[in-house]
Amino acid sequence: MLNILFYFQVHQPYRLRHVNVLDIGKGLDLFDEKLNAEVMQKVAQKCYLPTNKLLLELIDKHEGKFKVAFSITGTAIEQFKRYSPETLESFQKLASTGCVEIIGETYYHSLAALYDTNEFLDQVMLHRRLMMDVFGVHTTTFRNTELIYKDTIGDLVFEAGGFDTILTEGVDRILQWRSPLYAYKNYSKNLNMLLKYYKLSDDIAFRFSNRDWPDYPLTVDKFIHWIDQLTLSEQKERNLFLNLFMDYETFGEHQWAETGIFDFMRHFPTEVLKRPHLGFANPNQVREWANYQQESLTFPDPVSWADEQRDISAWVENDMQKNAIDTYYELFSKVKATHNEELIELARRLSTSDHFYYMCTKYFQDGDVHKYFSPYDSPDQAYIYYINALADLEERMQ
Amino acid sequence: MKVLMFTWEFPPLIAGGLGMACYGMVKAMLAQGIKVDLVLPTKEMVYFPLRDEGDVDSLPVVFMDPVLQNDFSSRTFSDPVERLKYIGVSTHPESYHTIGDIQSFVTRVEKEYLSDGHTNKEEYNLWQQITTNLDGDNDFILKVQEFTQRAERFAKELEYDLIHAHDWLTYPSGMLARKLSGKPLVVHIHATEFDRAGGPGNPQVHNIEYAGMTYADRVIAVSKYTAQMIISRYKVDTAKVRIVHNAFTLEENRVFTRERIFKGPTILFLGRLTLQKGPDYYLDVAKMVLEKHPQATFIMAGTGDMARQLLRRSAKMGLKNRFLFAGFLNRKQVEIMLQASDIYMLPSVSEPFGISPLEAMAFGVTSIISKQSGVSEVVHNAYKVDYWDVDLMAETINDLIENPDKRITMGYRGMKEVNQIHWTEAADKIRKVYSEVLSQFLKSQD
Repeated sequence: MLNILFYFQVHQPYRLRHVNVLDIGKGLDLFDEKLNAEVMQKVAQKCYLPTNKLLLELIDKHEGKFKVAFSITGTAIEQFKRYSPETLESFQKLASTGCVEIIGETYYHSLAALYDTNEFLDQVMLHRRLMMDVFGVHTTTFRNTELIYKDTIGDLVFEAGGFDTILTEGVDRILQWRSPLYAYKNYSKNLNMLLKYYKLSDDIAFRFSNRDWPDYPLTVDKFIHWIDQLTLSEQKERNLFLNLFMDYETFGEHQWAETGIFDFMRHFPTEVLKRPHLGFANPNQVREWANYQQESLTFPDPVSWADEQRDISAWVENDMQKNAIDTYYELFSKVKATHNEELIELARRLSTSDHFYYMCTKYFQDGDVHKYFSPYDSPDQAYIYYINALADLEERMQ
Repeated sequence: MKVLMFTWEFPPLIAGGLGMACYGMVKAMLAQGIKVDLVLPTKEMVYFPLRDEGDVDSLPVVFMDPVLQNDFSSRTFSDPVERLKYIGVSTHPESYHTIGDIQSFVTRVEKEYLSDGHTNKEEYNLWQQITTNLDGDNDFILKVQEFTQRAERFAKELEYDLIHAHDWLTYPSGMLARKLSGKPLVVHIHATEFDRAGGPGNPQVHNIEYAGMTYADRVIAVSKYTAQMIISRYKVDTAKVRIVHNAFTLEENRVFTRERIFKGPTILFLGRLTLQKGPDYYLDVAKMVLEKHPQATFIMAGTGDMARQLLRRSAKMGLKNRFLFAGFLNRKQVEIMLQASDIYMLPSVSEPFGISPLEAMAFGVTSIISKQSGVSEVVHNAYKVDYWDVDLMAETINDLIENPDKRITMGYRGMKEVNQIHWTEAADKIRKVYSEVLSQFLKSQD
């Protein structure tokens, strides 16, 4: 059996205002309330609401056979509550079907796993509590910010307790000859690992509407055909997992409705379920369904799903990013020591990885993606506003 | 006495050093009864007839075209900004409507004004300098071409006793006006290409500067430093050169308070981020000081071609959130910034004058200024350091951070000192220069 696992990342950061030096110490709101509300409402109209509606219809139609998983960050949930409560309701409705798994992550979609292990554990617990409050579920699958993973992160997730499965990128340099279709174990063999099948995932997420792509247009038939071509001869009685991981905004936002992305998604499950050797699954089923000895994989260096390099260079590469991150974590430990809850929450909103992503200067193919996602004119500006915000945070603290 | 004045900056049209200097001196000149017809690089063909002191702020406007003038005077504007927008005055002037063909203009000027037998060889050669060096199609040269072509009409149709042109951009206009009217020309050197470029610079600009200074009846330099430079590098006749230092006059009865932004020591750089201003030395000094005093904050305010390079370098140096970029600040923001600063630093590689430290001192901010500046000739209560001596600058800042009383005393003395420097003195000197050239001119008419 080949099980298709859809996992969607749902995240919205708190974008910073154009924080000027002269604003520092005035106690002004650091975040661009207007922009954040606009983005949330726009994405809700174009993506969240129509896609949630479609998924609900599909779940209803296929009577439990169609499944998807979500990770929804704390900053996204907070902004749903504030700017688009109907979106939150529609996610709650989906979660209550039993066909939707809610996955754990860091509340603030941060890089804490790489820089501050205590804070990482705190943010994981904050997120778990929030998922319990909002959806009434206890998360058992974990996926770190932007699929960032290395061995020590696996150890931390295990230490956090209650997680038995983790999602990350199916990076070639780790897998080598192995197939991303198998369920694996982490290097300590205490977590199941599911690896993104990046070729087929990115066909939907990035290439779907690209007219320069030789395989354009992507139809359900073509996609199913590719799935049929996968090395099923090896499979025998084994349960394999085709992990299609992507930004949820793929639907309607990155790929507009006009591209036919919704029609694709509407018809895809029907075609899948016509085939006896194909089905859908959620990550929390892996522990029961992996009916073979799972090989363990070692990730000595961090991987992610970003850019061609699939490493952490989208966030931590140039001097601006390094200075910003170093300054942040040094300052954050001081903020945490104040036990001032309001200040700690403000500081945590500044831990969101997007702030560092906006400072990325890889202006080749991937740079375009960064530019698309950035609310600022240039990486330099993003850096200036962020550093000014950290200066303001420090002034608030003393 | 009435002056036809050409300048590239005047508030609110760019609030750079040149604009601030022109504003200060014209205001003081008006107070002494000198009338000024001011020509700026506006979009519309207008001039500003300044008669009273208050006119520098209200900026009365006259269109050269009577039809447009009628139309303009029948309009009402909700605020001064709207009125200035109408005539095309912005803080960053856009390109003009149409750029005329400079070559046909030059040919015509030569034919009409230089071929009358009254032009000697030396004069003709200087004109050649202008016509060959005004050629080109980069944005800036195009704007200077347009400005120069318009000068013909101002020169012919307005009435004036003499011509005053500020910096190279307006020298061709000044020269043309002198040629057409026969009235004396005073050129004012606020900066030369050597200062701006921090090296040899653009030869086109040098040639225009040379021609303008050589053609002029008097050359006003903003400092001894600049006078020496133009005498040694442009071979200007020493007898023609006069030094008039800039000044800074804080609004009368102006009350200001210290209003901190940062709790720790705050050090300010304020200026264009170009080689000339030495911002990279400031960055080096910041690094050294922050090692000893990590609670200090260094602000870099301004924009310029080195902005990105400086930003990236500050990040590479790992100066945390202790080196901040404030971007371009308007007048009001500059004042707020000064009220929040403890130490001001001007590390210019070559600064003909440098009004900005005077303003900082007027706000009681202890100042460290480059010895390679004109302003260091006029103030005593500031620390004067060679721009390249980053060790000494860092030591000085460390010392001031460690001894706040010393810093406050120096700041106070500096404030008192600057309060005695008025534009009135500069206007007196300029009036004297005018009288000289006018009596010379009248003699030559006899």
